[in-house]
This record gives sequence, structure tokens and C-alpha cells, in this order.
Amino acid sequence: MTERPKTFTIATYGLSHMRHNVMRTITVLVTLMITMGFLILTLSLFFGLASEFDTDSERRSILEGKVPTSTDLFRDLRIDRDMSEGSRQALVELLLFTTVLVCTVSFFIIYNTMALSVRERRREIGILRALGLSSWEVTKLFLAEGGFIGLVSWISALFLGMPLILNLSVYLLERGDTAFFFVAPAIPPQLLVVSFLSCMGLCLVSTYLAARTRIGSSPVKLMRSQE
Amino acid sequence: MPREPFILLEDVSKGYSVGGQPVHALDHLTLSIDKGDMCALMGPSGAGKTTLLNMIGGLDVPDSGKVMVGGLDLSRLNEMQRASFRKRNVGFIFQFYNLIPSLTAYENVLVPVMFERDQRRSRAEELLDRMGLSRRMDHRPSELSGGERQRVAIARALMNDPPLILADEPTGNIDSETAREIVSLFRQLNDEGKTLIMATHDRMMAGKARSMLRMRDGRISGIKASPRSSTVHLGSAQYQTQARE
Repeated sequence: MTERPKTFTIATYGLSHMRHNVMRTITVLVTLMITMGFLILTLSLFFGLASEFDTDSERRSILEGKVPTSTDLFRDLRIDRDMSEGSRQALVELLLFTTVLVCTVSFFIIYNTMALSVRERRREIGILRALGLSSWEVTKLFLAEGGFIGLVSWISALFLGMPLILNLSVYLLERGDTAFFFVAPAIPPQLLVVSFLSCMGLCLVSTYLAARTRIGSSPVKLMRSQE
Repeated sequence: MPREPFILLEDVSKGYSVGGQPVHALDHLTLSIDKGDMCALMGPSGAGKTTLLNMIGGLDVPDSGKVMVGGLDLSRLNEMQRASFRKRNVGFIFQFYNLIPSLTAYENVLVPVMFERDQRRSRAEELLDRMGLSRRMDHRPSELSGGERQRVAIARALMNDPPLILADEPTGNIDSETAREIVSLFRQLNDEGKTLIMATHDRMMAGKARSMLRMRDGRISGIKASPRSSTVHLGSAQYQTQARE
């Protein structure tokens, strides 16, 4: 007989649900990973350009480890270094706008993904409510799942998505048909903090908003919903 | 001095709209049920049995009238207070079991106490053992038979040791042999002091109850109490409603 868990917690509940619905969990994770990958890329471009050029050597060492063909990249980094203050400022503003845009799009993608998940589980929410769990307790179950998915997506986006996107930018650089990507992506420490906070924030807020309305409705109506 | 009834409904009405047509699920219903009763609700589909159970269990609120359980006026509680009332006082058993498919039998029984500090896990094991499911604790609902699922649902309903058990067609989806076992279990629970109210079409089950209410169109159309107990009372409002018919 298998060992039963010592405590039955939100985590046990969430992990059981994710294990039981493997395909859905993978779909959500991949969707969020791609979304967060783009978010991290935009943020990295922003930080790369906005940060002081002292970090160039640091950036280069990171890129050297991760990017296989970097000759052209460094040539373009030199262009970057020679960029006038006015051009750099214009690019920073453009990237700031892009970051806000990507954040907004990410929010709607995550919100829709979570809203779909909550919709699929209306009946389950009704059962939990009927058994005496309060709306806030059920919301906490969803927030824990949203937070966990957000964390896994962020880590995956960072370790899987970033190298892919970096390679793509190098490929575009080598083709030389884009002026945008000559701003080489960088991974400064503040990127980790800001991307983590924005990824988790987006996930938790969108999960909360997606769950709030349905969880608050009548348990009787929720239980009548078809799966 | 007259005894305070455990469950008291005063002039309770509840309506729904089905396809744009208003339906009176409960129509000026007044009744009381004493503590320790085992009451069967019978009647055709749409008579209001489930709505009545939902009202008594604090799952739904009446459009008008008063629902009192254990001296508590449920119609005055907010949703959070009703959730707390359900957790402590009511064990629900549904026709379609309503187990969480991703959780094992053991975990399903623990759901009502998920947010409690003391989860009394040994109680969950004892309850499943009592239901004859000690070897099925780590199985998911999809791996269990209908009867086994319903017994998991009963164990879950008993997890918080509630004084009131509400069962909606508990034998509706199981074979007659398992149904007999469940009825016998309900009798045991009733003998231990639990108040049971069950909506059923099953005459065998209704025959084992201490009292029986027959419902039609959201009203009580008949009442039968066994000699051992005459705990169900209809109030004056109900007589008035019937007199208008």
C-alpha cells in the first residue's frame, strides 16, 4: 500500500489535479512559457539598452556561453556602443512601450487560460462550496495552482525559452535584416527580479480575476453545471 | 413547554425561472422536524424535494419565509456564514456522489477539513474502514463502483461529525443490494443520534424511515410518521395553502 500524505494541503490538492489532467496542465504550461518567454525577451532588451554600458563585458560573457555564433553579434554590439544618446533614448522608449504591450497581451492570454480552467471546473467548485469551503478558501486553491504554474513557466521560460529566443535574435542579426535586434539581449540581475515579479503578478492577478466571479456564485448553480 | 424543533421552515417560498416560465419549487411551505428524526421526502421529480434539502442545508436561500436549523436563522446569514454552517452542521450525500475525480477516496474524505489545523486523518481512515473501504482508500473515484463511490461520499459527509445528514437520492444510481446496505447504515447513524433527511423515489428506503413527507408542486401533500416518532409537524400556513386548493 502506498504511503498516504502526512497532511492534506492546498499543494496536495493542486498537484493531484495537475497530475490527473496532464494534457491540460502541459497546454497551460506551454502557453504560459511562450508568453513569459516573450515577456522576458522584451524586458531583457529593455534592460540591455537602458542599463549602463559597463555591463557589456558581463553581457558578452553570458552570451558567449549560450550563443554559439556570436561574431556578428559582437560586431553589432560595437554599433550599439557607438549609438548616439538620442537614438538610445528613442529605443528605450520604444522598448518600454513594447514591454507594456507584451505585459497587457500576456495578461489576457493568462486570464483566458485560467478562465477556461475555472469554467471547466465549475461543478468541482460547487462541490467544494457545498462541503463548507468558503469562497476565499476555494479562491486560495486556484491562486496556489496559478502561482505554481506561473513559477514553473517562469523558470522554464528562463532556461528553455531564453536560449531559443537568443538564438533567434542571433539568426536575425546574421541575416542583417533587422535593426531592432542589434540591441543584444542581456540577463542582468534586475531582469530576474522584475521578470519574476511581473510573471507571478500577472499569473496571480489574472487567476484571481478569472476565479472570483464563478467561485462567488451560488453552489447550487455551480453544481448543476455540466463538466 | 413545547420542544424547540431542530428544523423549522416558516412560510418558505422559492421560485425559479425555467425557459422563461416561473416555477414554484417551494410554495409557502411550513414544517418542522425534530432532532433525531429520519425523514424520507417522496414525490415526483420537480416536486421540490431537492430545493427543500438545499434550503435546510444552507445551500440556497428562500425568496421569502424563514429557515431555522438548530436555532439558527439561515435566511439571515451571509454566504460565508452559511459555508461555515454547512461545514460544521451538515453532511451532504448526493445522487451522483460528487466526488473530486482527481483525488483518492482518502483525500476526498479529507476535503471538508482541508483548511483545518487538526485534520484528524485517523478519523478519515476509520470512516473509510467503517464503510468497508479500507483496501480502496488510495483508489480514485473512476476506479470504484457506484456503491463504493457512494460510501466514500458518506464517509466524507461524516468527516466533521455533523448532527444533520441530507441525502438527495442516495440510492438512485446503485444496485439494490448496495442500496440495502446504505439504508442499514443510515439507520445506524440515526440510532447514533444523527438527524437524517433523504429525498428518495425508493419505497424500500422510505419504508425504513421514521417519518415520511410526500411533496407535490412545492407543497407537502401527505405526511406519515411511524408509531415510534411523530416528529414532523405541519404549520398552520401549510393548512391554509392546502385549503385554497
